[in-house]
Amino acid sequence: MSPSAVYGLVLALYMGMLVAVGWVTSRRMRGDEDYYLGGRTIGPWVTSLSYVAAYFSSVVIIGGGGFGYRYGMATLWIGAINVLVGCTLAWIVLGRRIREFTGRLAVMTVPGFLAERYRSREARFLAALVVALFLIVYNVGILKGMGHVFEVLMGMPYWVGVLVSGAIIVVYVSLGGYLAVVWTGFLQAWVMGAGLILLTVGALKAVGGLTAANAALASVNPELIRTPGPWGWAGLISFTFVFSFGVWGMPQLVVRFYSIRSVRLLRVGTVVATIGGSMAVLPYLVGAIARVLHPDLANPDLAIPTLTKHVLSPWGGAIFLAGVIAAGMSTFASILIITSGAVVRDVVQKGLGRRLSDRSAVRASRSVSIAVGLVSVAIAIRPPDLILVLTAFSWAAIAATCLWPLLLGLYVRWVTRAGAVASMIAGLVTALVWTGIGSPFGVHGFIPGMAASLAALVTVSRATPRLPEHHLERVFSGEA
Amino acid sequence: MGPFGTPWMTFAAWIVTGCSVLLSILWAVRSSRGEGDDR
Repeated sequence: MSPSAVYGLVLALYMGMLVAVGWVTSRRMRGDEDYYLGGRTIGPWVTSLSYVAAYFSSVVIIGGGGFGYRYGMATLWIGAINVLVGCTLAWIVLGRRIREFTGRLAVMTVPGFLAERYRSREARFLAALVVALFLIVYNVGILKGMGHVFEVLMGMPYWVGVLVSGAIIVVYVSLGGYLAVVWTGFLQAWVMGAGLILLTVGALKAVGGLTAANAALASVNPELIRTPGPWGWAGLISFTFVFSFGVWGMPQLVVRFYSIRSVRLLRVGTVVATIGGSMAVLPYLVGAIARVLHPDLANPDLAIPTLTKHVLSPWGGAIFLAGVIAAGMSTFASILIITSGAVVRDVVQKGLGRRLSDRSAVRASRSVSIAVGLVSVAIAIRPPDLILVLTAFSWAAIAATCLWPLLLGLYVRWVTRAGAVASMIAGLVTALVWTGIGSPFGVHGFIPGMAASLAALVTVSRATPRLPEHHLERVFSGEA
Repeated sequence: MGPFGTPWMTFAAWIVTGCSVLLSILWAVRSSRGEGDDR
């Protein structure tokens, strides 16, 4: 059997399985809480591994490999801090409080939480707008990664890869909603893990082990094995920060805490998410090894697809390909649910006051998921270059807008309505302007965005009236 | 130079990854002892 036939067979089986999950879960759909949160009945293994799958998209695998290829072993730090801050600490600091608060306030989305926590329509609209807009940008990055993989490994035109992956995701998300997203995410995390481990073992074998890889990289440029390496501290720290701490403000990940069956289950989830998340280190390692084995690649984003073709058998390559596609699909699928929630739940139902029956709300959410999916596919067919930069831009905008009002809203009572809204505007504008002027000093827009957001939150909250005590009691202890 | 010909500063990334796993286990054990049967 030719390699393309093997890839085609494995992918067809895999995608058929995803559609089947969508069909099965669609039969459990009764209302919008089922579509957005799976009825808050999800167990710890499914919650945590679907969190990992949504976190480490094809952008992280393909783009992370590109960064490892370009900047060497220092990029292992991005993966390591992803695990510590983006998985372990995120679950410890956010998990319990988010599950308790969102259950108490009966909210299903991040804009919904901000609106209820601060009694602010402006917070709801602003968050919904930013989430919907910038997650579409993120989707484009994801589809781009998948298109490249199809292109290199299967010799398919780039646009066919984008179209096929986009269509399958839209089908299973619109059928099964959040339940389909988390169950496919759970399966996809295993496929991603298996694919990454296979590729890492293959790459280490091809280069002669880690010691040989380090020696070979050092002979190309000694900086490639040192920290911070050729990237320098500013670039390394700010990218690490945005892809680790930035996660705390990303709705498609935070929503996992809304939907877990009980607070008690977060303990198991934290351990599973951390162990599963440890695979985040591997794409950077493999990317650095690709620099030794294929030193003349024109585009660093091709490091991982090229390595896969050379070090794995067609069956191993097919599993890795399925893993990358899985990574992209799980993130893309989560984003479709989040954006449809932002539009239908936050803008149409809550913002504009339109009453929808459970059936109409599910129908509207499905339509928005399909529309967002199609728009993302259309843009991704002719996208801008370098996946990770594109993605980091959207992460910066969303995280700088939502992170402080979300995080501090869970822990302190003194943040005011005006303080929260000012923080969101200051974070968003600063992150965009900083990125627009070319990210001075190599510092990612997320860093000044976060600083401005925090400064505005503290300053404006000090100068404006506190929220009423009875409201804060309801939020923090469930008593009013 | 650290293990596998990796400078210590770079090798520490692997150590941080391992410590994260350890931290998550310790936290889970500690919180299950401290909070018993909460839901």
